[in-house]
Amino acid sequence: MVIDLLSYSLIPMFSSLALPFFAKKNIRIAIILANVALLSGFINISYLIINSITKPDIIPIIDPLTVFLIFTIYTVALAISFFSTYYGIEKEANPISYYSLILLSVSAMTSLVMVRDLFSLYLFVEILAVCSFALITSDIKSNSIEAAIKYFFLTFPASILIILGISLVLASQKALDFEIISVSTNIMTMIGLSFVIIGFLIKSGVVPFHFWTLDVYQGASSPISAYLAGIITKIGGIYAIIKISIIMKYYPVETISSILLFTSILTILIGAFGAIAQKDMKRMLAYSSISQMGYILAGVSTFSSTGIIAAVFHLFNHATFKTVLFLNSACIEKQTGTTNMTELKGLEKKMPITSWTSIIASMSTAGIPPLSGFWSKILVIIALWQVGYIKSAIIAIIASIITLGYFVLMQRKVFFGKLAEKLTEIKEVESPLLLPVIIMSLMIILAGIYVTYIYSYLEKIM
Amino acid sequence: MILYVLIYLVIIVGVVGAVISKKLLNSAIMLAIASIGISLLLFGYSAPWAAVFELSVCAGLITVLFISAVSLVKNEEDTTKEKQIKYSIFPLIMSAVVILSSIFIPEYFEKLSSYANTTQNGNELKIGDIIWSIRGIDVIAQIMLLAGGVFAIKHIFSYVKKQEE
Amino acid sequence: MNLINSTPTGIMMIPLIIPLICAILILFISEKTRYVREFFSVIVTAVSLWAAIKLFKIGGDNLELVFSWFSSHKLHFKLDYLSMFLLFSVSMFSFLISIYSISIPNKGNPKIFYFLLLLTQVASSGVVLSDNLLLMLFFWESMVIFLYIFIYISSNSQQTKSTALKTFLINGIADISMMIGIAMIYYITSTLSISEISKTKIIMTGWGTLSFFLILIGTLTKAGAFPFHTWIPQAALYSNASFMAYIPAAIDKLLGIYFLARISLHIFQINLSVQIILMIIASITIIAAVMMALIQTDYKRLLSYHAVSQTGYMILGISTLNPIGIAGGLFHMINHATYKSCLFMTAGSVERQTQINDISKLGGLFWKMPATAICFIISAAAISGIAPLNGYFSKELVYKGTLNTGYTIFFYAAEIGSVLTLASFLKLGHSVFFGKLNDNLKGTKEAPLTILLPMIALSCICIIFGFGAHLPLSKLIQPSIVSIGYIPHTELSGFHLDNLFLISITIIIFSLTLHISGFSIYGKPYKTSDHIHYAPIIKNIYQLAEKGYFDLYEIFKRIFKSLANILFKIDRFFDIVIDKIPSNISIIFSSQISYIHRGIYNYYMLAIFIFVVVYLMYLGGIKW
Repeated sequence: MVIDLLSYSLIPMFSSLALPFFAKKNIRIAIILANVALLSGFINISYLIINSITKPDIIPIIDPLTVFLIFTIYTVALAISFFSTYYGIEKEANPISYYSLILLSVSAMTSLVMVRDLFSLYLFVEILAVCSFALITSDIKSNSIEAAIKYFFLTFPASILIILGISLVLASQKALDFEIISVSTNIMTMIGLSFVIIGFLIKSGVVPFHFWTLDVYQGASSPISAYLAGIITKIGGIYAIIKISIIMKYYPVETISSILLFTSILTILIGAFGAIAQKDMKRMLAYSSISQMGYILAGVSTFSSTGIIAAVFHLFNHATFKTVLFLNSACIEKQTGTTNMTELKGLEKKMPITSWTSIIASMSTAGIPPLSGFWSKILVIIALWQVGYIKSAIIAIIASIITLGYFVLMQRKVFFGKLAEKLTEIKEVESPLLLPVIIMSLMIILAGIYVTYIYSYLEKIM
Repeated sequence: MILYVLIYLVIIVGVVGAVISKKLLNSAIMLAIASIGISLLLFGYSAPWAAVFELSVCAGLITVLFISAVSLVKNEEDTTKEKQIKYSIFPLIMSAVVILSSIFIPEYFEKLSSYANTTQNGNELKIGDIIWSIRGIDVIAQIMLLAGGVFAIKHIFSYVKKQEE
Repeated sequence: MNLINSTPTGIMMIPLIIPLICAILILFISEKTRYVREFFSVIVTAVSLWAAIKLFKIGGDNLELVFSWFSSHKLHFKLDYLSMFLLFSVSMFSFLISIYSISIPNKGNPKIFYFLLLLTQVASSGVVLSDNLLLMLFFWESMVIFLYIFIYISSNSQQTKSTALKTFLINGIADISMMIGIAMIYYITSTLSISEISKTKIIMTGWGTLSFFLILIGTLTKAGAFPFHTWIPQAALYSNASFMAYIPAAIDKLLGIYFLARISLHIFQINLSVQIILMIIASITIIAAVMMALIQTDYKRLLSYHAVSQTGYMILGISTLNPIGIAGGLFHMINHATYKSCLFMTAGSVERQTQINDISKLGGLFWKMPATAICFIISAAAISGIAPLNGYFSKELVYKGTLNTGYTIFFYAAEIGSVLTLASFLKLGHSVFFGKLNDNLKGTKEAPLTILLPMIALSCICIIFGFGAHLPLSKLIQPSIVSIGYIPHTELSGFHLDNLFLISITIIIFSLTLHISGFSIYGKPYKTSDHIHYAPIIKNIYQLAEKGYFDLYEIFKRIFKSLANILFKIDRFFDIVIDKIPSNISIIFSSQISYIHRGIYNYYMLAIFIFVVVYLMYLGGIKW
């Protein structure tokens, strides 16, 4: 456990425990407390990370991966929490439990990236699963209960596999710390870690275990979809695989690498092809998330330093642009009442800022230079090429084109074109709701420009 | 040996009963019984850590949560009907499981006991040591889990109240 | 860049730089002033003319001026006698036309007209002065745009615009072929300097012949020979007289024949078969054009066909490849420029005074517009080759040269051309200036002085070059030929009472006979050529020509439609392959994937279990 960053985990937890007591006086105070807790954490961590990135010669005392991921967590959580206050979540869910659950999940995720042994990792993954399960049910009007049940049941085989794997590792190594595992090359340890990896594959929502993601992202209420797609599936799923692949640097990894590669390519393709014919915006974004998860997995499957750095960077990028896209769909749903793309037309005149941030995020997803998505994708493709998976690299490039295709299609259908008759009274959402989206778009652009700094910072992970 | 087989049977009965019982309260109690059985098993294999946590978490925490949840859903129990597989299949499956496990399980248990974890000093660890000094994180995690569970229940069931209103 | 007048090399730049600067300045002169532009351009062209004359006086062969451009390429300007001669002619015509167009009403926006006039002066001086083929090409091609704008601004009607387009296309495509030919020259000789190439001339091998013919297309189009001439008669109908007097009559012929002389004599070494092809083209031009000219009833259109026809004489002269013929071709060039320009000027003056172009409605204008009429008579006599005007002497030299080659058939063709030329001018003069005066023309007055002065000046030049033919021949033409490399053996000028003179008298009698017979049959002066027009076989040829069957441009317009259709079908095919097929396949995939993910929980769970088992088996070592 990294003790220096413990406060990032404890403060949201204590805030969430204190929230019901404040709420007895006034609900607004409680909501403000939640937001302030996250904001203070965000400012602290961004100060820390900007210092670390702009001074590349200083060797960081704290593990760069941890700090980077805590930064990502706080960014997305702050955006979602801020967004929810103005979104009117009070009408749909109990605000106290909602914010408490968000704070708890932040605390769980932060502890998750700070722990240094496998069992605690599993613990916090399960806590995260509980919190997200509850958060999915936040909008009882749509079929969120069905989504929550599907989520829970379809990921519990993951828990089985993870526990099985951990027990095998414990049996062979007699300890579960990361340093101890990474230096041994026992075959039982490797099998155990493979089990763990497959379990976390189920939790991340890659093909062929992706069925729950579609219904969950569509069924949950929009800020929660953003939260899930932005950070929870990543920290709860892919992060563990990244950590284990960093551990397994010196292992003979051909089998597990080919499994991961096959999974990632399948994921990329099915996610890309599935998104083309979708009529509902959130479902299309869900397919897109599956596809991007495939890219992260492809980076991990190479087990090389370039690939892992690419995977971490793409994780951060996906957090930002997917959050922007889901929050935009939340804005659209709030103003027009529907997310069906056949009914929405010509929204650009009425909601210009939404349209513009949507364009930036779509271009970043598709991998258009000089936005950040381009750099992470090109790093993934380079990593695949270096290890020798040439066909996979070509498939990744082709899927990028398909990604661009359906995003441009969505943009054209929803934003450009003639305004539909039903939508003539739509106004732009109020500015507080636009603030998180604009800040994230700025982050996308800045990350694209200062990519060299980020790359040299992330190189110290390996 | 016989003791282990008995405890194993208790666990199986508890688990199967939790799945097929019609009343939710009975499911929760069956689950509690199964958890207690598992923790006894773990104590027997000299895995005090796992036993402690199994007892505190499963038999304690989870049962508390389940029973509080069940008490909140009292009304829906009577109206919804479940689809259930015909009961006649179960005895067949159960007998098959029992026969197979009686062939394979004893060896497995013996192998497991060879993995028993003893400390460096050779002393048995006390429960206090485990909880406070070595696995401090798990305390935090427990608190988080408890809080998470409570808030989750509050979150989900607040609609039920709203819908009823 | 030194522009000082004291050095001869600096003077060479004056006809280039000063009109350029003044052309740009003209654009900024306000529209409210009257005649400022005209005066300005008159003065500027006079300055260029003075510079050309001064260069002449300085004399000396091979003045050279080298500019460095972008510090690695050099622009070469060179002046040998041929260039000097042409520079003088070009400047003279610019000067005269700028005086003439002061009073012409329908020349378009005067600001743009004078701008273009000065720029044409710059471009033509650049063509004749440059030593580098690429530089010359630059100036040559810039004239195409000026041509287009000249015609375009003449009036607002749709026909003017389509004429402008036709001009642009014909000249533009010819220029492209010339550019390819010059590129091939560079490939053959790896230099672009004319003086370099002329030291060892290019011989007619495969690439050489091809490049010669490509450049020939460009040159012939500029000069206006068959079959690239079809824009000139159309422009005569739809643009104004001062443009016609300037470019198709004078500048185009000067530049076209100049460059034809350069390529046939200076750069390439032509062999016999190419020479015969050139002479055939020349003869066809002479006869076809003059036969079309005979039947016209529009003043300017008739003159424009004659311009095409006389080009044939020039080409014939140059292609004879002996010094007499070449002298004849070059002399005919300058002579044609003077009398054709003068004829167009008379057409412009009649049009201005009477607003009528159709000669059937004109008549008896001799007493009303005497000065115009006398200029017309002099120029018409000159063009027909009546001694002792300048046209006779140049034609005589051309005939002599043709006979010297030994192919007498071309001689006969040229003679027939002369017959029909005189006949058509008899018809024109008779119907416009002689004959009965129509009632509606009773009020016409003589044209103003600014129109009359250039006409009179050109007619005087016709007479001077005729009576004193040895002056231009010895001062201008002979040194030019010598500088190209052909030295004449006999005296060129002088009045020889030999067979050719008798033949010319015969021609005059022939034409008079044709005219009087036509007049007696039909009674009206403008119908005097109708007996040829409606002769049995010739009538059909005339009908085809009127429909445009001999017009290359019209033929191409028909081909292009079917070509465009074919290209469209090819593009549709590629569109299906690249666009429709991939998107349809993607949509099929996508709808299948959507169908699989319908939301049925049982299938999902089953799939997860199956795949977990598969993965674990693969992990265990079972490969497929």
